Amino acid sequence: MNSDDTMTVPGRSDALPDGVKDAHILIVDDMALMRKMIGMSLERSGFENLTYAEDGDDALNKISENIPDLVILDINMPNVSGYDVCKKLRADPKTASLPILVQSASETPEERVEVFAVGATDFVSKPINQPELLARVCMHLENRFLIRNLSDFQTRMQDELKMAREMQHSLLPGDGVVKTVEVRSQSVIEAFYKASFELGGDLWGTWPIADEKVGVFVLDVSGHGVGAALNTFSLHATMARFEDKKHDPAAFLSAVNQTMANTMKTGKFATMFYAVLDCQTHDLVYAGAGAPQPFIFGANGLRKLDSSGLPVGIVRSATYENLEDRFEPGESLFCYSDVLIEADRPDGSMLGEEGLEQKMIELLDTGDRNSIVKRFLDEFYETQKEHLPDDLTAIALHRAAEAGLP
Amino acid sequence: MEYRIEKNDTDIRVLFSGGITFSENVSFRQVLKELSENDVSTCVFDLEGVDMVDSAGLGMFLIAKEQADTAGWKLSVTGAQGHVASMLKLTKLSDLLSS
Repeated sequence: MNSDDTMTVPGRSDALPDGVKDAHILIVDDMALMRKMIGMSLERSGFENLTYAEDGDDALNKISENIPDLVILDINMPNVSGYDVCKKLRADPKTASLPILVQSASETPEERVEVFAVGATDFVSKPINQPELLARVCMHLENRFLIRNLSDFQTRMQDELKMAREMQHSLLPGDGVVKTVEVRSQSVIEAFYKASFELGGDLWGTWPIADEKVGVFVLDVSGHGVGAALNTFSLHATMARFEDKKHDPAAFLSAVNQTMANTMKTGKFATMFYAVLDCQTHDLVYAGAGAPQPFIFGANGLRKLDSSGLPVGIVRSATYENLEDRFEPGESLFCYSDVLIEADRPDGSMLGEEGLEQKMIELLDTGDRNSIVKRFLDEFYETQKEHLPDDLTAIALHRAAEAGLP
Repeated sequence: MEYRIEKNDTDIRVLFSGGITFSENVSFRQVLKELSENDVSTCVFDLEGVDMVDSAGLGMFLIAKEQADTAGWKLSVTGAQGHVASMLKLTKLSDLLSS
């Protein structure tokens, strides 16, 4: 055929895009003349991949062998009607979203409604107006390809996020190191971590230091999602570089801050708390970079640790201070991320620091100290919506009481 | 988050209310855009009506501070109460923002 025969699609000056032109279209009609007419009109517009079925049964067979990108379906056919074909296709998940363009000579409003009720995507009346048919075919194919691209993209992103989430979980301390720290500090560690999106900006860790000490940190990168998660990787790698400073919390935070201040973008930072416990003397040395105030609690009450300090990653010149306290056998150290005190409760209020402290004291009296974080979170989640607005980290070190003491 | 800008020649006061959190990123950037379109010598962020700020909100203040330093105007933060005041104190950002 010469180019003069090529029919352009109304509203289009360009030739059909490749994806649309290659689309597989099934034309279903019991009249051979109609099949031929529709086929020719599509061919003249550039469509190359056309197949034909002569009734509903034939159509369903052909579709089950090879699902087309679009079906042009006659409604009044012997045996299996167009209505039945629509119903069957919609009932099968594989063809539930297949575009079906129904063509019919019946024109009553009730019939049109019925066509859509059984699942047709669109409707053209017979006698067929060829430019209209083409415009509708193109529109539905383009929609289908757009949706397919989007859902392919979405699937890929979901897979990548899943892998990233697994990688992020691998940053958390493994069972081996937790056990080592537990044995050395004669404590039970309770640790909970949950990202608000697929990926989070919280991290915690613990490690043995020299012969008698253990270190524990929590950190929270500002913001959420992929950006925050990548910064946790960066922080994790940075911390590993300062093995020689792990015994000195202020020096450790300073070193991490100096590196991170060069790499974190303006407006991004991480709040941190890092403490080192001497398991023999029970002396606790710690430094804060703006993390929510951890506290030590036990039979003798509760005391907060001053974790104030400039978050890491903002200015290179920030300095941190070592503070001292005691962390005695029989006491627990609790570190947490701010969502615990900031999340809205059903009445719209926030729990707040004081509310959290009170709650922990209450729970101390009503059950096993070693499961206090779990008991707190069970209650916390009961009052929360399914998705928290921020990542959640809650870590407790419960030091065993000395023999003979409560 | 909502905001209102009061202008007295080149002295500007931005009165915030509500929460300044992760989800307010777009409206906060609008504030910064408006500031950049004005001739500013001093700008006060009035936080008296703000009941909640999260880490992302604090990050936006830092971005504002950088914009102030670059453009040569002076930023200060005032009126923080309750949770907002304790967040600024905990992170020692009030001094940095007004330095």
